[in-house]
Amino acid sequence: MTQQTARVVIVDDHAIFRSGLKADLGDGIDVVGEAATVEQAIAVIAQTGPDVVLLDVHLPGGMGGGGREVIAGSAALLGTTRFLALSVSDAAEDVVAVIRAGARGYVTKTISGAEITTAVFRVAGGDAVFSPRLAGFVLDAFGTAPADIADDELDRLSARELEVMRLIARGYSYKEVAKELFISIKTVETHVSAVLRKLQLSNRHELTKWAAERRLL
Amino acid sequence: MTTAPLRPPLARRSGDRMIAGVCSGLAHHLGWPVRNVRIAMALAAVAGGAGAVFYAWLWIMVPTADEAARRNARRPASPIAPAVSGAVMPSTAGTFDGGSTAGAPPQPRTEADFSGRTLGSGGNGTLRGWSAVPYGKEILLGAGLLLVAGILIAQMMGANVPLGTIIPAAAVLGGAAIAWMQLDENRRSGLLEKAGARQQGGWVRVAAGLALVVAGVLVTVSGSGSWEQTWLALLASVAVLGGVALVLLPWGLKFWRDLETERAGRVRETERAEIAAHLHDSVLQTLALIQRRAGNEHDVVRLARAQERELRGWLYRDTAADPAQLSERIKAAAGEVEDALGNPVEVVTVGDVLVTERHDALVQASREAMFNAARHGGGTVSVYAEISAGAAEVFVRDRGPGFDPQALPADRLGVRESIIGRMKRHGGSAVITSSNEGTEVRLTLPGGTENVEAKP
Repeated sequence: MTQQTARVVIVDDHAIFRSGLKADLGDGIDVVGEAATVEQAIAVIAQTGPDVVLLDVHLPGGMGGGGREVIAGSAALLGTTRFLALSVSDAAEDVVAVIRAGARGYVTKTISGAEITTAVFRVAGGDAVFSPRLAGFVLDAFGTAPADIADDELDRLSARELEVMRLIARGYSYKEVAKELFISIKTVETHVSAVLRKLQLSNRHELTKWAAERRLL
Repeated sequence: MTTAPLRPPLARRSGDRMIAGVCSGLAHHLGWPVRNVRIAMALAAVAGGAGAVFYAWLWIMVPTADEAARRNARRPASPIAPAVSGAVMPSTAGTFDGGSTAGAPPQPRTEADFSGRTLGSGGNGTLRGWSAVPYGKEILLGAGLLLVAGILIAQMMGANVPLGTIIPAAAVLGGAAIAWMQLDENRRSGLLEKAGARQQGGWVRVAAGLALVVAGVLVTVSGSGSWEQTWLALLASVAVLGGVALVLLPWGLKFWRDLETERAGRVRETERAEIAAHLHDSVLQTLALIQRRAGNEHDVVRLARAQERELRGWLYRDTAADPAQLSERIKAAAGEVEDALGNPVEVVTVGDVLVTERHDALVQASREAMFNAARHGGGTVSVYAEISAGAAEVFVRDRGPGFDPQALPADRLGVRESIIGRMKRHGGSAVITSSNEGTEVRLTLPGGTENVEAKP
């Protein structure tokens, strides 16, 4: 939330959705480019170098990899450009695959204009955006039992991270989570980013098994 | 032959081949060195041409690796493998006309009886049988061929085998067995019913009838002239049948494969029709309704939500999901609330359990809480259910103006009875927290989840 302007590229194959989203985005968000296919998206992102890419998970073109392929194709920019996945699909395989490819968050397309604006600024500031559903997937994949030792190992969530994930799954905003747990919003963001990192990097057995059961990876 | 399923399927390999990849495929299947198989095949080809005929036969019958892979998508293993692995011992030709080959291997096998039994008379029927039953018939066929080979060896060793009796009897029995295999399950049982085989003593009658038929055939054969003539006639007819089979086989195989392709196409067509029917019944109908109701925002949103939920259920439903599972029941309750009041209800579940009577109470209380949240809170209702080994918890949250749970009027049965009272009666608890930023109902049902799935 430190930054109040953000340059954004919208990638979605439906023109109606793109124009609707553009109209919904709040002040301070400058849409510098749009793309409808994997190839277009990679070209536009390389050309404009935006702060945030709003990326549909399912896209035509390329090798059929959709949003994942766009992220992979823009790997050189991953340090400066952040990706926020947008999808109508709530299949675990789609969501977790795009997060593991490098997206900083995932929201559904039914999200309101104000919420997506907040999410864009949050991602632009380097934080992660978790919808209740994504938090549910994380809890399902990592299990709801806390880690024995609260170190930084990748395979389990710490007790605090579990609490934060549970509250987000219950529909709490970051602000409400902070209030509920008597911590600052910054601390909540730190926990969420840590969970995102574990989700992206963990190779633990259960995550693989969980993912396989839901036909992903 | 019991080891057959453990072996890689018999398939002609395109990578490592001299002519058609038969030898390398065979070697791969048997786990022998390719060179040995090639040498054996070449030796057998020199010794009376058996190798060449065997090679040609495998070339025709064994699919390439690609074909095998495609076929294995439907069937467990190469259907031909068991029959062939029973017949791969080095074989020699020429024993049929009495001329034995020098240094004949211990299992002389005549190519004529191969083509006669396998490709000729029973050719088509056996092929069809292979596609239906995995191994049984191949084992039977292999055993029969081994028996024939054994008899021939004995004959060559000088033992006095009464061929004149055995061959006609074997032919009749073989023919009867093939005819029997052609019939499908229904017709077989129908036939047995008619012959009275189901009754006491029925089998004896059927067996006696068959024995009479065999005896009749034997009398006819032995009465028709000398054994030498019968032998020659038999050989000639087998040769003719074998020739016809060799000519017609490629055509027959192609026809059979076309049939398989067409069947696969029909399956796809059926699937497409099913999807089209579903889209028509649900999505198109809803779109038509939405157009007619375009003026009423509330109705449009409600229709769109209901359709979205239905389509999601159809597209993404876990095929393993059981409607008797707690997560499915809570989603169903959320659907009812959405339909009745039009508020979106977002459900997130973690873990799962099969519903028991106590969980029923939890589902009912959740449903009531969702109705209250949608009615009084308005806007989106968030539902989170977490089912672990220790307890099942459901959180229902709205963003309404809130109320004071302590100051509930005594007549508000919904909250007091349907939620708090119901949970208490089943050993659980309900906690309501409310502020001006919204209300959250927390339902807890401890224990009783010993049938929680290890990893839902």
